[in-house]
Amino acid sequence: MKKSLRSVLALVLLISMMALVFAGCTAPATTKPVDSTTTPPPAAKLKVAMVTDVGGLGDKSFNDLSWAGLEKAKADLGVETKVLTSKVMTDYETNLTQLSGAGFSPVFAVGFLMQAAVNKVATSTPDTNYGGIDIFIADPPKNYVGLSFKENEAGYLAGVVAGLATKANFDTRLNAQNVIGFVGGMAIPPVQKFQAGFVAGAKSVNPTVKVISLYAGKFDDQAKGKELGLSLISQGADVVFAAAGQTGIGTFNACQESKKALFIGVDSDQFLTLTNPGDTILTSAVKRIDVAVFSVVKKSLDGKFPGGQNLAFGLAEDGVGLAPFHDFDTKVPQAIKDAVAKATADIKAGTVTVPESVK
Amino acid sequence: MSDRREVTLVEARWVSVLRAVGVPLLSVLLAVGIGSLILLAGGYDPLKAYAALFQGAFGGEMRKPLEAIGDTLVRSTPLMFTGLAVGFGFRANLFNIGAEGQFILGALGAAWFGLMFGGLPGFVSIPLILLGAALFGAAWAFIPALLKAKTGAHEVITTMMFSWIALYLTSWIISGPLADSATNNFQTPIIPSDSWLPTLDKVIPWLPTIKYAHAGLIVALAAAVVVALLLRRTTLGYEVRAVGFNPTAAQNGGVSIAMTTIWALCISGALAGLAGASEVLGVTHRMFDQVSAGSGYGFTGIAVALLGKKHPVGIIFAALLFGGLSAGAGTMQLFANVPAKIITILQALIIFFVGAETLVTWFVKRRQRMALEREEAADAQ
Repeated sequence: MKKSLRSVLALVLLISMMALVFAGCTAPATTKPVDSTTTPPPAAKLKVAMVTDVGGLGDKSFNDLSWAGLEKAKADLGVETKVLTSKVMTDYETNLTQLSGAGFSPVFAVGFLMQAAVNKVATSTPDTNYGGIDIFIADPPKNYVGLSFKENEAGYLAGVVAGLATKANFDTRLNAQNVIGFVGGMAIPPVQKFQAGFVAGAKSVNPTVKVISLYAGKFDDQAKGKELGLSLISQGADVVFAAAGQTGIGTFNACQESKKALFIGVDSDQFLTLTNPGDTILTSAVKRIDVAVFSVVKKSLDGKFPGGQNLAFGLAEDGVGLAPFHDFDTKVPQAIKDAVAKATADIKAGTVTVPESVK
Repeated sequence: MSDRREVTLVEARWVSVLRAVGVPLLSVLLAVGIGSLILLAGGYDPLKAYAALFQGAFGGEMRKPLEAIGDTLVRSTPLMFTGLAVGFGFRANLFNIGAEGQFILGALGAAWFGLMFGGLPGFVSIPLILLGAALFGAAWAFIPALLKAKTGAHEVITTMMFSWIALYLTSWIISGPLADSATNNFQTPIIPSDSWLPTLDKVIPWLPTIKYAHAGLIVALAAAVVVALLLRRTTLGYEVRAVGFNPTAAQNGGVSIAMTTIWALCISGALAGLAGASEVLGVTHRMFDQVSAGSGYGFTGIAVALLGKKHPVGIIFAALLFGGLSAGAGTMQLFANVPAKIITILQALIIFFVGAETLVTWFVKRRQRMALEREEAADAQ
């Protein structure tokens, strides 16, 4: 009897707690309209947003760079910004749809994994504009703009630096073997374009240089990246460029720990994102995703959303480039800096066309 | 005297039902309570956060009800299957921690058969594909089951390892033999739309159009009924429960532990395989590299089975809860500015309290048993 009394008590307690929670859930919903009437939102403020892929914010790469573009738009253009983090792949479609429903436009989808989701949502919500980072949709709808990057042009500049550096002797790690290395994540177009540009850039300033390219097959395998880095170093490479996401961090570690090679980073300025990179990172081949995002927001504000097309951001659009030399700035000979400046000018002027694939 | 005894029996039954329902509910409430403290500590308004979470899952001002409910249903569906899968294993005292791998194999099987039978009309191809995916999932559980039955190799280790094999095997298959040549993404071509699981309103005509929701939900509910009948009404179900309850007694009673183990794990694997098929046929319509990555339906299935007290009905509700938490996360980010990671914390807290309850029960039973033994010892003297 005592036992059953106790369980009845527990039940009463439980129900009252549940009632409390439900009260908590519904109360703000009923008071909300009052809130919105007392403080009306400022009229016609552009609301722009992005949806991350499952990498989320803090990836020090695509997601963070896109967010940087939105933050700049908020500071410079006074737009309202929002980011929704995707935890699972199911979130892509629902997050894009909810942002559209809440009046955000343009909404940016970050990363090629979101291709199917953004294509579907753009078709079903024609009043919202969408931007897709590194997403290619053939024959895109009017309310969608694809933003891709001319990785080959950034790779070319990295190649110019590497091709000249391996012949130079501004650092004790640079040997006389005239060999440089490339580590790719997966053999997909953006990475292959980096590779093609890198090879072409190196050969343009150093025709006899030997470029060894290795692919890890993965973007998230640091151990594999290290293994490939050490393999390149054992074959005489003294400058290594990795376009391999997290895998490339392993390659960076191989260069730093062996003290036999300099490293060139990718996507963001990896001098700013890696730990103690100063003694090993020469430069990085960067994709200015922030620039691309900002430019689309700015055009939207002027009522000129560039929908219905796939835009490629290259050197001319300031969409790719080479990061500063940072700690190496005083060591790198002026000849290399001049060569980079000349290559940049040539590509912008169209006198040099960088191949998109390795022959 | 006999009257009184009957009353206590009924009472005892109510107490057990109350305990079965009340403890998971209490775990959820405790998790919500501690979640509030965490939200407060993070500088967020818990009421606003939970209101957004609730509306994101069931609809309201912030989200259209049919969109929110559909989102919850679509996220719950795979969890119902994997919850049933893990729960069925639990009944035979087997911990199928590798439901993830069987899920992936089921998804792969669905994509493969989908591309093979895609030309057939849906009412022929969909059952065939579901059957094929269930067989794929069962086959993936069969080897660990055989190892367990013949050598005693623990299923926690073997099914887990098989998940990794599944992950890399499919990664290779969809970037090689089954790769979509039209893109460079690692995925299979899209399955012909005849073989997609239809949306709910197409199956049940009087339903309004619920966004996202698909007929996989009906298959999941049917699977729950089948599992319940299997456990209650069949010899195999009886043997599974007997082995789970007391293997030695079951064996003495003439039940083959080896055969029961193999059947139980294979059925568990088949259910997990169906989860993968339901995702592929109902949501993605193709197999992606690491289709379950980030979501971990197989692993969340363990939590669902525990919260649902291994009972098919409980599992359905637990899956709805976890699906709702996942569906509401976006709305919570959008309207309350709460990071989605908080949802992960809530889920972890729920699992923690459910786990803690199991621990408490175990201690109580142990104490009772020890008391009984002491009494027996005293009697013997």
